[in-house]
Amino acid sequence: MSVVALAARSDVHPEPLVAIEDLEIRFDKVVAIEKLNLTVQRGEFVTLLGPSGCGKSTLLKAIAGLIPPTGGRLALGDANLRIGFMFQKPLLLPWRTTLDNILLPVEIKLGGSVVDQTDHIRARNILDMVGLGGFTEAYPHQLSGGMQQRTALARALMSDPDILLLDEPFGALDELTRETLNEELISIWQSSLTRLHTIIMVTHSIVEAVTMSDRVIVLTDRPARLVEDVRVRSPRPRLPEDAETLSVMKLVRRILRGGR
Amino acid sequence: MMLRFRTPILFGLLTLAVWQGLVMATGIPEYLLPSPIAVLADVDRTLALSLGVTFLEATIGFAIASVLAFVCAILFVRFHTLEEGLFPIAIAIKTTPIVAIAPLLVIWLGTGWWSKIVAAILICFFPVLVNTVKGLKAADAEYRELFQTLGASNAQEFRKLRIPYCLPYLFSALKISSSLAIVGAIVGEFVGATQGLGYLIMVSSAHLETATLFAAIVAAALAGITMFYIIGAIEHRVVFWQGGEFE
Repeated sequence: MSVVALAARSDVHPEPLVAIEDLEIRFDKVVAIEKLNLTVQRGEFVTLLGPSGCGKSTLLKAIAGLIPPTGGRLALGDANLRIGFMFQKPLLLPWRTTLDNILLPVEIKLGGSVVDQTDHIRARNILDMVGLGGFTEAYPHQLSGGMQQRTALARALMSDPDILLLDEPFGALDELTRETLNEELISIWQSSLTRLHTIIMVTHSIVEAVTMSDRVIVLTDRPARLVEDVRVRSPRPRLPEDAETLSVMKLVRRILRGGR
Repeated sequence: MMLRFRTPILFGLLTLAVWQGLVMATGIPEYLLPSPIAVLADVDRTLALSLGVTFLEATIGFAIASVLAFVCAILFVRFHTLEEGLFPIAIAIKTTPIVAIAPLLVIWLGTGWWSKIVAAILICFFPVLVNTVKGLKAADAEYRELFQTLGASNAQEFRKLRIPYCLPYLFSALKISSSLAIVGAIVGEFVGATQGLGYLIMVSSAHLETATLFAAIVAAALAGITMFYIIGAIEHRVVFWQGGEFE
């Protein structure tokens, strides 16, 4: 089982999972994204890197279908593709326990019908996976910021997504918590316990982008345009102080500052 | 619990003692300022009955107004055209003083229960409506985006997000309007009634039975406070997450 999943990950499909051509998104007169081309293959971990407010969140929301493109093409390789979305804020419902919060996607999908035992077991397994096994009955206000964001991650995983879209998911947390959660995210992505195979993450941290992803997509300031598509080939786990990681970080920083 | 109330109770008793002492020392006539003991002596069956009637009228009006306002708020938020068209009317009703409308209510509905209940409804409706509309719209755009990514229908968004999110707003309005309901009922009774606190106040003031008047005023205040605390206790149980990190 796990061998199959790993094999599927390493082999690159010819048909891209996300295909974006000449994408344009404008809000009234403001152009957020202009002539953007990007493809994401199945199994990739891609980060979108750029200065704050450059339109990278808009791009992510467009991929999620939250914002309609005003021009160009945005296609998902598979119509049945399941998307999980995680925001910078945990956005937990304060009147629900951790368990009930992560059952929300299931409830919404089922409509009126009741969540069954299988989903409860799945929810508990996912909570164990994100390290919240002992907090099923806690309310959001009883959890720390890191635990709230773990809950949000668990909720995103509860939709059993193929692709996870993360909008600066741990940006509001302290650095230590953030590093731990980033590592856990990588291991969830690599594990064969979920069907999750592809991650697109927005970040404004060069370290985060380079240590985590296969490709760093560097975007310009508003309107967002693709400046460079940097491949990071060094093996994981990567540390920020590794020579290889450092040199890629230097490269990315140079690109961001305008000099190639 | 008792400890928390000890100081206010002590000060309350002290005030009453000073009042009693002043009345006794100055020999001020009872029709001007009755002593607390004289007021207490006037607590009788008539007063209890009047309080009961007014409290019931107020509660019924409050309940009807709350349900109506809640339903209206949902419709307003769901169908924007309704809000645009009807909100000005709601404001018009709100800005017209209830004292001015009350005589009309008595002409239309008679001197019985309904004129008071409707007066209470009119005075309670608006605060609940405004706050509920505000609360239903209060959930962050990002919360709605979350529901969108989960593929939630409009009805699901209301049931699972907007309505629970609005509860703190609803309850703060209910606390205000619950004491207003007593005002509405009493105003209704002023204009035309055969029973209730408002009626008792009118009659006792006309006869210069100031002790009875005082007793009725205190009863009216107690009715309002009781309403407020009952709603507050319910709020505490329902909106249990408030006071945490909830924005």
